[in-house]
Amino acid sequence: MSDEILDEITASDYKYGFTTDIESDTVPPGLNEDVIRLISEKKNEPQWMLDWRLDAYKTWLAMVEPEWHNVTYTKPDFQAVSYYSAPKQKKELDSLDEVDPELLRTFERLGISLDEQKRLSGVAMDVVVDSVSVATTFKKTLAEKGIIFCSMSEAIQEHSELVRKHLGTVIPKRDNFYAALNSAVFTDGSFCYIPKGVRCPMELSTYFRINEANTGQFERTLVIADEGSYVSYLEGCTAPSRDENQLHAAVVELVAMDNAEIKYSTVQNWYPGDAEGKGGVFNFVTKRGICERNAKISWTQVETGSAVTWKYPSCILKGDNSIGEFYSVAVTNNYQQADTGTKMIHLGKNTKSTIISKGISAGKSHNSYRGLVRVGARAENARNFSQCDSLLMGDQCGAHTFPYIEAQHPTAQIEHEATTSKIGEDQIFYCNQRGIGTEEAIALIVNGYCKDVLNQLPMEFAVEAQKLLEVSLEGSVG
Amino acid sequence: MIKINNLQARVEDKEILKGINLEVNPGEIHAIMGPNGSGKSTLSSVIAGREDYEVTGGSIDFEGEDLMDLDPEERAHKGIFLSFQYPVEIPGVTVSNFIKTAINESRKGRGEEPMKAREMLAKMREKTALLEMDKSYLSRSLNEGFSGGEKKRNEIFQMAMLEPKLAILDETDSGLDIDALRIVAGGVNKLRTADNAVVVITHYQRLLDYIKPDFVHVLFNGKIVKSGGPELAHELEEKGYDWIKAENA
Amino acid sequence: MTDLAQDLLSSFVVAEPQLNGSRNLGVVHLRKEALDRFEAQGFPTTRDEEWKYTNLKPVLKHDYRILLKGDDAVSFADIKSYLLSDLDTYKLVFINGKYSSWLSDSTHQEFDVCTFAAALNKYPDIIAEYLGKGAPKGETFVDLNTAFADDGAFIRVKANQTVDKPIEILYLTTNENGPAFSQVRNLIIAEQNAEVQLLERHQNIGDQPSFTNFVSEVFAARDARVSYYKVQNDSDEATLVDNTHVVQKEQSNVHVGTYTFGGKLVRNNLHFYSAGERAESHMDGITIIGDGQTVDHHTLVDHQEPNCYSRELYKGIYLGKSHGIFNGKVMVRQKAQKTNAFQQNDNILLSDKAKVDTKPQLEIFADDVRCSHGCTIGQLDRNALFYLRSRGIPKREAEGLMTYAFAADALEYVKIPQLEKRLNRVIAEKLGINLEFAL
Ligand SMILES: Nc1ncnc2c1ncn2[C@@H]1O[C@H](COP(=O)(O)OP(=O)(O)O)[C@@H](O)[C@H]1O
Ligand SMILES: [Mg+2]
Repeated sequence: MSDEILDEITASDYKYGFTTDIESDTVPPGLNEDVIRLISEKKNEPQWMLDWRLDAYKTWLAMVEPEWHNVTYTKPDFQAVSYYSAPKQKKELDSLDEVDPELLRTFERLGISLDEQKRLSGVAMDVVVDSVSVATTFKKTLAEKGIIFCSMSEAIQEHSELVRKHLGTVIPKRDNFYAALNSAVFTDGSFCYIPKGVRCPMELSTYFRINEANTGQFERTLVIADEGSYVSYLEGCTAPSRDENQLHAAVVELVAMDNAEIKYSTVQNWYPGDAEGKGGVFNFVTKRGICERNAKISWTQVETGSAVTWKYPSCILKGDNSIGEFYSVAVTNNYQQADTGTKMIHLGKNTKSTIISKGISAGKSHNSYRGLVRVGARAENARNFSQCDSLLMGDQCGAHTFPYIEAQHPTAQIEHEATTSKIGEDQIFYCNQRGIGTEEAIALIVNGYCKDVLNQLPMEFAVEAQKLLEVSLEGSVG
Repeated sequence: MIKINNLQARVEDKEILKGINLEVNPGEIHAIMGPNGSGKSTLSSVIAGREDYEVTGGSIDFEGEDLMDLDPEERAHKGIFLSFQYPVEIPGVTVSNFIKTAINESRKGRGEEPMKAREMLAKMREKTALLEMDKSYLSRSLNEGFSGGEKKRNEIFQMAMLEPKLAILDETDSGLDIDALRIVAGGVNKLRTADNAVVVITHYQRLLDYIKPDFVHVLFNGKIVKSGGPELAHELEEKGYDWIKAENA
Repeated sequence: MTDLAQDLLSSFVVAEPQLNGSRNLGVVHLRKEALDRFEAQGFPTTRDEEWKYTNLKPVLKHDYRILLKGDDAVSFADIKSYLLSDLDTYKLVFINGKYSSWLSDSTHQEFDVCTFAAALNKYPDIIAEYLGKGAPKGETFVDLNTAFADDGAFIRVKANQTVDKPIEILYLTTNENGPAFSQVRNLIIAEQNAEVQLLERHQNIGDQPSFTNFVSEVFAARDARVSYYKVQNDSDEATLVDNTHVVQKEQSNVHVGTYTFGGKLVRNNLHFYSAGERAESHMDGITIIGDGQTVDHHTLVDHQEPNCYSRELYKGIYLGKSHGIFNGKVMVRQKAQKTNAFQQNDNILLSDKAKVDTKPQLEIFADDVRCSHGCTIGQLDRNALFYLRSRGIPKREAEGLMTYAFAADALEYVKIPQLEKRLNRVIAEKLGINLEFAL
């Protein structure tokens, strides 16, 4: 990707107003060059990787934590984060009896198998063996097609040139505060390469990956779909992970070369904090993909977890005829806050993008859609359609819509629509009359409302996502 | 089966039902007629447990049990079905998913096992055939973009699936063309047994030509002002409501 | 701090004692505080979210004269074309911010149609009650205006009165002596069940740059009805920052129409505060601009009370190297249940050098509301175009006809037929179409 384009995207005029207040004391004593050297050394990384990290670190030092988003939280103490112990070993429990019973109840509602429950709650058993063997089986099938699917650490060792060529090309180190931090200190993540013309025969999921459960706060994912290839990638766990980590600052980069297609689905369900708004994960994620000629990237996300979410999976439609899609459901309840959306940057000719966003706010939560559609001066015949709907449950919550639309070409066709609604009492009564209780009725109506997005998810995922919506809205009707 | 005694109800400050008495026994068909705004839909909503209406007096017994403290869904579980005058749209929820949820929730409410998927499918097939509905109905969003007639037919389809003891059909005939009317009425008739009962709310004799009532009641200004046999419906068809209004002025 | 800001601050000392209302302590205070806030903030830059797309630098750089003098040389013939000549109206004409009594036609009979300057002296109680209560403190242009504004229109319609003819307000800038920076201000009060129609225009009649920083506060009491039309067709050298703030009480109905064709840079900050139940707010606009022009519509509807309705429709047609900006925010506060808010912004780009940035926003804090916004950027409907051509209408005419129809859609609420006709003519002229044919 040429520097010119990168500049166009990251140039200072588009930052939603990154501004103000340089806090001189934000340089955390917990993080310094030695720590980064240590991480790199522990992981036995090549020199270029270390240099890259150090450069990112220098960039980060000069940056300010963003404040333009519509969320309020106590800023993480970067000092308190232990970067070098990244792949945190969780305390191993001896049996399910030691697991928080509330967590187990949720597992049951989600219909997760006992073995799976054990794996997710970190009970020591043959799980590791299991997943290793599962992983190896799949790895063999994948290897036959030339597909590389491994941890980022492994990729840096085994496929150094590929990583080096693409890492940071979609999301430069200087892109934003959290991306810079991630670039400096990321500990692991996934790497995926689909060779030319190969259609990946199965959904790739982080589930199958070794070490996944303990990947640290700073995850780094890179998916490369070479010319004419196809891959569907699933990320996230569909059970609430009571992670102690306060801050998750992941970076995901997608490269879709000519005629390639990447489908990236996320179900995010980190710990949202309790009903009083205590605790919970800060989820500050940077996700972006670049499309070359005739390529297509499709982001689908179901966001129900985290105390604070800040996330804009985006597409740079660089190649002619490329397509970007964003399908999102974001649910906030209690004191959760979500500021999420997408950026569709149309650079090539005949590029197309679609945005479907469904926000649901309940309790005392705040849910914001923030998006950008930009049609560049050379993007002849660009098309965009956006639909951003909000559903409010109760009068203590808020729904916000902040779309930015910038068009610089007369042939651009952009359509944006947004609506706000609530669940009608007549709808609930109708369901009641047919024997469906109110809580169940709300789940049904909400699932219907989100259908256009849920339909984009792979089958198994969709079912779990549906249940997840139910669980996260539990108790939201008074 | 159901015994309504001096039922009074209001919305905010407005008295709508002013002392309704009605008894329906298993196997019977009752028709309720009356001018617009007389309280027919209110009566059916109150029986179904709609909370917008405040019951200020009287009682409703269903199979010997007082209904007043029951939630709408509990009443449904007991076998009360209301075909809505204005069925509600629920975007994104398919007819089949909705009816599946309704059946299984009702079963759960009665302490029964969920219906087996195969049985459910067979039943859906049977009932769509009964009402001469295309199976593609099942995968459409509930009532969304349905024509008036489709909505009403879909109500009767749900009734067929749920097999209630007492079905109240609130102007189910309005919006139906002649063929649809015949099909829907035929469906209702086929679902009849000695154990269930139907209350039909309508303005027109033509529905009663298909669903033959044992009793006809005239509801006017919140009260049942006249009851009789099927001949009463004919009389109303001929003379309109003016003489009722005059008599009760 | 820019030179201009610096100049403004230092000239305040000189200006202040001469300003109208300088004997009214409350006003003196208001001005002083406003100036302090301006000093703290200065002029906005593109780093401010609200000015992200509009760069003021090029228009702030001129060496403006700040303390302007009236101009006696202007005759009625000079300004005739800016008035609705075929209609009897009240007229308030200001030249370089000074009231021109011989060009004006004011009244104190049943209602006050007079000047802000007069009101400052004549009605201290009203000034104390209303001045600065509509336009929010902390908005830098509003503050700057509060500090300096000396004159403008003062209109007060007492309860149950209907003003018998429209009121035309014309602000002229002459600039033989170089670039002029003028700050004028309206105070418009429609008391309970009163009705008034206003027509307003800012006009630079010279070839030097001008910068007008304008504030208009409108108060519509219970059941009041206000129609307020802004015709913005200024010269290529003129910059206008229009800050119009409308406060509405129960069941009032206010319509603000903004029709923008001229000017180098026009920024409209139009805010509605829906502060009484069942208030109705309408705002619409047509923008047709070309080479070197920038028009920025920033609207806010702040729904504070239940059962209110707002409707917003802005149409933009961009030719040449022009830049259109729309930023529309609809806010529904927790208390404002059953709000019904509608917003639509449609744009057509007719040149590959034109640019549009639009940002519709919803901020909803109440659950039982119906709010929607929509925005489109695109071209004429190809099917409709084909339909017209298949009926024998040549392509150029068909396009003109459709573009015209696209814009004229936003004229629906104009209640003065003469104005509607005139706007139609301007639109047709701008689009280069034959109106006889189009109509
Ligand atoms: N939710 C409600 N709020 C206010 N008035 C109502 C409501 N429901 C019914 N009513 C009024 O009660 C009267 C009876 O209405 P309804 O039961 O619908 O009559 P019918 O079905 O016989 O035409 C009408 O005057 C109607 O306007
Ligand atoms: Mg009725």
